[in-house]
Amino acid sequence: MPNILEVRDLAKYFGGVRALDGVTISVPEKSIVGLIGPNGSGKTTLFNVVTGFYEPTRGEVLLRDDDGSVERIDGLNPNEVFLKGVVRTFQVPRLFTSLTVLENVLVTPPVQIGERVLDAPFKSRWEKQERELARKAVGLLKRFGMGDYVYSRVTELSVAHIKLLETIRGLMTSATLYLLDEPAAGVDYGVARELFNYIRGLREEGLTFFIVEHRLDVLMDYVDYVYVLHNGKLLSEGKPSEVVNDPKVIEAYIGG
Amino acid sequence: MPEFDLLGFLIQWLTIFGLYSILAITLNLEAGFAGLTNFGKVVFYGIGAYVGATLTTYLTLHLNNVDPFEYPPYSIDGIVKLIELGGKSPPLSIGLLALSLIIAFIAAGSVGFLLTYPILRVGPAFVGFTLLSFGELMRVFLRHYEPVGGSKGLAAIPRPFSWVGDPKLSGFLFLLLVLGLVAFTYITMDRLTNSPIGRVFRAVRDDEIAALCLGKHVPRIKALTLFIGSGFSGMAGALMAYYFTSVNPDMFVPAVTFNVWAMVILGGMGNFTGSIIGVALFTLVDRLLAFITPTLGVTAISPDYIRWMFVGLLIVIVLLFMPKGLLAERPLKTPAADEARKLLAEGVGSAQHT
Repeated sequence: MPNILEVRDLAKYFGGVRALDGVTISVPEKSIVGLIGPNGSGKTTLFNVVTGFYEPTRGEVLLRDDDGSVERIDGLNPNEVFLKGVVRTFQVPRLFTSLTVLENVLVTPPVQIGERVLDAPFKSRWEKQERELARKAVGLLKRFGMGDYVYSRVTELSVAHIKLLETIRGLMTSATLYLLDEPAAGVDYGVARELFNYIRGLREEGLTFFIVEHRLDVLMDYVDYVYVLHNGKLLSEGKPSEVVNDPKVIEAYIGG
Repeated sequence: MPEFDLLGFLIQWLTIFGLYSILAITLNLEAGFAGLTNFGKVVFYGIGAYVGATLTTYLTLHLNNVDPFEYPPYSIDGIVKLIELGGKSPPLSIGLLALSLIIAFIAAGSVGFLLTYPILRVGPAFVGFTLLSFGELMRVFLRHYEPVGGSKGLAAIPRPFSWVGDPKLSGFLFLLLVLGLVAFTYITMDRLTNSPIGRVFRAVRDDEIAALCLGKHVPRIKALTLFIGSGFSGMAGALMAYYFTSVNPDMFVPAVTFNVWAMVILGGMGNFTGSIIGVALFTLVDRLLAFITPTLGVTAISPDYIRWMFVGLLIVIVLLFMPKGLLAERPLKTPAADEARKLLAEGVGSAQHT
């Protein structure tokens, strides 16, 4: 499989702090790739550079299009990165708290007639599209077992549903690459596995996942490949079984 | 005590009510829905007022073959000429009114649009203070800019309906115009906020970063909101110039902005009907107190301060019992919820996903 995402010699310095210092990572299409490392090792910074929140100090981020052309995406704004087909979730979930579950999902689709200011006041112009999108959204919510929560406020949801909803939001687009920041944090073991089962199912449908996760017990059962970051540098990489037995990794995690 | 002129009072109150309603509704769009802490509302109101006043006075002179540079509208001669010429020609009056409204919208809207640039990267408090200071800058500029009359401002602005003759009737016609514009503003804002773009406004207010990550161009959305809100405020400003027939820099102090904020908070953030009720209550109490306080016989402090105190007290009491204001934000109304209800009732909605 060709790589959908390539990070080449990426560095990000904050003054004297080298949050990322020459990291090279490849994420093949239709795979689940994990990114682990102790706290402060640069995992979230890497996500922030890839999704356009920071400009890298050095290096490039390359994204492959549907048609196979490869494009640099470092330096783009987060909204532009999203429109290139990259969906990102957060360590601390970011949902729209005054909107219902359904409305949260409906914010996502990029080309909405009713989001143009001159069309918005005239319901007849966008009602058809709005109803189509609503049908798609309800279909997705039901598929992920959230059919009963369509009208709930997101503040009434459980942590597991909040995490799930963040991912479902992305599925309203044709996006193909998902960057998930600790999807299993704060949920119990069973729910975490359920979440990863969904992710695996979506991979079968052609989506690619790049996941930061601390819950190695869950993660390692699902990923095809793992990268380990430590102090802004790659410490190790390989198949899950190789990485967990790498003495350097064990030392970084336990020895500090 | 002078005889109470109820009709006159009603026309006066409702006109002021109308002008402030436009400001409150648009501020609610900006602050209540899109989360923009606009502490510079008076800027856009002021721009509209000065555009209306300047256009009307200069063009009235010019189109009546008086050279406005020889008899500038802020000079005594100019004012005398304006009083002579005002209300002579109905088509001219109406034409100038229409032109003023359009230019006021464009001018105030454009300034709002441009002012989003300095506030894009800062938090709500800084947005507020940037816009607040811009208002003060504008006021200082106007005080020293001779062509719009400097600190004296412009006076004897010909009213659009003065050709009617009867001042009550022309006041009433003007009131109808103001209320018409209030209705137009209300309907436009209500439709905008209950549409997919309204959903995006709320999303940006709730979590700007998440909206950005879902591909929403947050800077453009803010600029657009300020363009719309400021454009409508500009029109209210132009009408205000006609209503008072004069403008001067000291009408546009920050207190105007905070009065509008108080009205919006009183009525409830995120609810346009609430804003209108807030304005009605606020202006009514203010007007009534303006009548009553002088009769209280208090001489130690100015009656104006007693008015301010009562208005403040009203807000504190309302918010003590209703922290969200008189009316809470209503849920978004788009056909999506209805469509979902149908689907869920049918029990269909198969896994269709691309």
